[in-house]
Amino acid sequence: MTSFQSTIGDEEGIAEELAEGQREISIAEFFEKNKHMLGFDSGARGLVTAVKEAVDNALDATEEAGVLPDIYIEIEEVGDYYRLVIEDNGPGITKEQLPKVFGKLLYGSRFHAREQSRGQQGIGISAAVLYSQLTSGQPAKITSRPKGQSRAQYFELIIDTDTNEPEIKADDETTWDRPHGTRIELEMEANMRARGQLHDYVKHTAVVNPHARIELREPGLDEPMKFERATDELPAETKEIRPHPHGVELGALIKMLEATESYSVSGFLQEEFTRVGKKTADSVIGNFRDVYYGRELSWTPPRAHDDRDVAAAVGEAVANKGKAATADFAEGVAETVANNDRLSRSELATIVGNVAETVEDDTGKTFGGTVRENAVDAAWRAITGVDADGDATGTAGDVTGTVGDAGGEEAGDEEAGDEGAESPLVADVYALVDEATSTRKDDAAVQAMADALTRRFLNLDGDAFRIARDDLERLVADAANFVAEQHDATFGETARENVVEAFWSRARTVPDDPPKVRDVAGDRDTSADLLAAMRATDILAPPTDCLAPITAELVEAGLRKEYDADFYAAATRDAEVHGGDPFIVEAGIAYGGSIPAEGSVELLRFANRVPLVYQRGACATTDVIKQIGWRNYGLDQPGGSGLPNGPAVISIHVASTNVPFTSESKDALANVPAIEDEIELAVREAARELKSFLNKRRSMQQRREKQDVLGKILPEMADKVSEVTGRPRPDIDGALARIMNNVSVEREVSDGTVTLVVENHSDVNEQLDITDIVSTEPTDPSEGTVVDMDGEWFVQWKPEVPSGDERELTYAVDGDAEFEVSVGGVETEKLTVNA
Amino acid sequence: MTTESDARDELIDLAADFYDQFAGGKIPELQLPTRTKSNIEYDTESGVWTYGDRTSTRSANSVRGARKLLKAAYTIEFLANQLDEGRSSTLRELYYLSESWDNDEAQFKSQNESNDLVEDLEIVTGVTREDFHMRPEESGATLMGPLEIREQTRRGEREIHCQEDVGEGGYQIPNNPDMIEFLDDDIDFALAVETGGMRDRLVENGFDEAYNCLVIHLKGQPARATRRITKRVHDELDVPIAVFADGDPWSYRIYGSVAYGSIKSAHLSKYLATPEAQFVGIQPEDIVEYDLPADPLSDSDVNALESELDDPRFQTDYWEEQIELQLDIGKKSEQQSLASRGLDFVTDTYLPERLGEMGVI
Repeated sequence: MTSFQSTIGDEEGIAEELAEGQREISIAEFFEKNKHMLGFDSGARGLVTAVKEAVDNALDATEEAGVLPDIYIEIEEVGDYYRLVIEDNGPGITKEQLPKVFGKLLYGSRFHAREQSRGQQGIGISAAVLYSQLTSGQPAKITSRPKGQSRAQYFELIIDTDTNEPEIKADDETTWDRPHGTRIELEMEANMRARGQLHDYVKHTAVVNPHARIELREPGLDEPMKFERATDELPAETKEIRPHPHGVELGALIKMLEATESYSVSGFLQEEFTRVGKKTADSVIGNFRDVYYGRELSWTPPRAHDDRDVAAAVGEAVANKGKAATADFAEGVAETVANNDRLSRSELATIVGNVAETVEDDTGKTFGGTVRENAVDAAWRAITGVDADGDATGTAGDVTGTVGDAGGEEAGDEEAGDEGAESPLVADVYALVDEATSTRKDDAAVQAMADALTRRFLNLDGDAFRIARDDLERLVADAANFVAEQHDATFGETARENVVEAFWSRARTVPDDPPKVRDVAGDRDTSADLLAAMRATDILAPPTDCLAPITAELVEAGLRKEYDADFYAAATRDAEVHGGDPFIVEAGIAYGGSIPAEGSVELLRFANRVPLVYQRGACATTDVIKQIGWRNYGLDQPGGSGLPNGPAVISIHVASTNVPFTSESKDALANVPAIEDEIELAVREAARELKSFLNKRRSMQQRREKQDVLGKILPEMADKVSEVTGRPRPDIDGALARIMNNVSVEREVSDGTVTLVVENHSDVNEQLDITDIVSTEPTDPSEGTVVDMDGEWFVQWKPEVPSGDERELTYAVDGDAEFEVSVGGVETEKLTVNA
Repeated sequence: MTTESDARDELIDLAADFYDQFAGGKIPELQLPTRTKSNIEYDTESGVWTYGDRTSTRSANSVRGARKLLKAAYTIEFLANQLDEGRSSTLRELYYLSESWDNDEAQFKSQNESNDLVEDLEIVTGVTREDFHMRPEESGATLMGPLEIREQTRRGEREIHCQEDVGEGGYQIPNNPDMIEFLDDDIDFALAVETGGMRDRLVENGFDEAYNCLVIHLKGQPARATRRITKRVHDELDVPIAVFADGDPWSYRIYGSVAYGSIKSAHLSKYLATPEAQFVGIQPEDIVEYDLPADPLSDSDVNALESELDDPRFQTDYWEEQIELQLDIGKKSEQQSLASRGLDFVTDTYLPERLGEMGVI
């Protein structure tokens, strides 16, 4: 084998030679070599994945068409191969689209849509077609009948792996008994070793899609598995949303910038993103200006006693406008300037412009652009001591040492150029530094810092003191390092941050127009600045109508349908956002009944209504379940962490416009903290209900046991004492009643008087809440209140009955009345109501 | 004291109480004095410690309480039948006998449970278990000294002299010492001795003969019969009683149960306790004075001593002083440690000195 290393430099054509061996790889070819990435790594798993992809497609298609899904899955052994048939009652696929949907990878409607859907990339079903053709050599056989058409279309197709294009082998019209829908038949090398996973997948699909009817036939089943629907309600239709500003990456942003028809950044933002109106666009652009142009530092204008005379400076700068007009102008500028606490150069320019307009109106003289500019320069020089070239006036020269690399060898120069410290800005800087740092900083250090900062500010390009925040941070850090070296005074991290904040918060956003979309798109750094500005702006969370949660009610219905349990609970969280994509987490728990009690609980994981069957251990949901302390909620958890044990099923559904998976095969949720937090909250919400159920059940169980034991012991004891005393067996019903029913409410009606007798046989005082609903008007109630509710009367008492005592609650009614009593304040297992 | 038919009637009355509670629509229950250290009181009249006023209720309202009362009903029946037939049985036999009852729930789970239940019945009926014809296993405690008695045995009357008619082991105290009649004696005082080793030493050295002393072997924590006969010797023969035990907190409790009554059988204190009994030693003071070989106090010893300071029975100047001294020196000694001064030291020196101080001889 030739070593290229040895010939490098000797021959010129090496790159060309290498290039000859390089060629484009078709996506289909790529798949052929990387089947595992899409979940086709073995025959067993390939079959499950193919079923999953076809069923996901079928569910998406039917729901989009507003049809209740009716899905039929059949797996048959055909010689050495397995034949897989999936039928749905969806809207069918048009003749033109069909070959591409099934015969081209990465062809799909949803990849670009921000909407909750099962499939996203358009890989799944075509990957299944490809897998079948690679292993069995057979084409995919597809029948589709769009709604309203009398005949169905039949295709046989394979994927040309070189071109990633479908190759149609047969194209006929045929008849089909379904009025509309799609049927796909694939033959593939496979085995049924993953039967468990297949059953799980289908069963879990039924749990999470209670509106779907699913039937599965496979060779190992004596009877087909049928899952009937638990609701006729289709999931809420989802709306497609535009991307959220917090959820785009730089590359995507540049693409959008290139594609947009908007001219201004503001228009682009409002047009292309969700939750961005004029106001939000303005805040983004404000932030964008700060990042892109930097802010202008502001300074305190001279006060009356100061020798920096703005009026004189402006007056000198104006020529040929007449004495009066010049004086008006100069004084007007000086006065307005003095009214401001702090000014940036842009603000000064605005003031000069405004005053010029006024004076023009008053005097009829014209103050043109040049005059105004001269006036601004002069006034700014008076305020800051800096002229338009950016030089500090009256100083010997530029300060050496540039931002970001002040080193020891330059320190001498800096000391020599100390004149900079005479700038009128020093006092201003000193005041801010002093305010920003702790009182313990000694005055000399603050003064040194103020000098060093001022020198660096004066050194900025131009005279407007424009600086971006990160540059300001660097500048402050540099000055702090210099002060630390020269004056042995430390300005730590916090002090520096405070100083930066003091200047930044007083700096002004520049009035310059932001660059146009064209310019932003053309420059990567500018785009990055825009992205940073978008991320820095507070923007409303994306709307959630792009999501279709199952709803707590149907999560429970789904569990109820497939698991025969004693208890069900479910919780749906409010929508949250991760990386600009909204998501909703739902959790459900089923407990007891015929769920096997041995081993750990069953964990059902769903993403956008698709069950996740493989890689449970790598899934964020599993991680969350493991770190919850389940003993708190009444489940056994060996060692206090890990999957809990017991007869329980926990189901977790994450719905999002973009579910973060750990890999393309979509088996496990990635560990996104925002999602993990919501999963935990949802599960805990459902688990709290489980806990109270288990607690109640435990106490009822104890009570039942007590009743069982006492019901046996007491009669025996009675027998024994009657034997010993030689008397007949005593009547023990009274004693038993006292033990069994701690609190009893009994109704007696006689002669138009209703009496509720409350007996408390428990050992504590009971505070009851009794409401009797009567069909005719009651009169003369003992204590209590009577409320008329549309022809029904609510008689309410809140009696406190001491332990071992009884109370009589009475009222009078005429004629035949109907009663309905409800008793609160006492646990139901302690209560016997006979009324 | 009660007669056999009285005892039977008391038991039937108790069953009738249960019956009446049932018939009255009430949940059967049993009121008992609370049997804890905090609920024993000094009875000034008799000079012993008995239960105070606090009571606990065993009610059939709980599974535990109902089981107890069911067992009580079965036990009442058994005891009543036993009295009818003039037979007797041991506590241990009762425990095993419950296995033959037709009801699983009525069977005892442990011997402690049956022992406690018999004590409960004693308390509520006011009849001692001896009168129920219930006896403990033989404790093997013995008497040795110039005392002549007549014992009613199941094989007829026996007259026995507790020095002349017995071997070196002495006269074995029967389970019901009330079946004994004192005929004649030449006793100046009785010495109740904790350990078998010391008792044998006294007998070998002829202490009983030399001092006209009745040596009562307590055999650790004394059985009821031992305490009963001690009390009878004191009351009927009018002789002083001295208790000779180890110098540790557990032995003080042995003295306490002889002199003041035990917490568990405080209902029988008037019948079992001898408040006039005096403590010979080993006193903590003796450990210092005679420089006896000693072991350091363990943690549980210290706890026991501190708990004795809280015990109403030990709240006397004498005991507080001794216990505090012992906590101070941190040591305990056995009776046998006196042997460090020679085998005769105890009979020749220690006891004569101590008993002299106490005014017993």
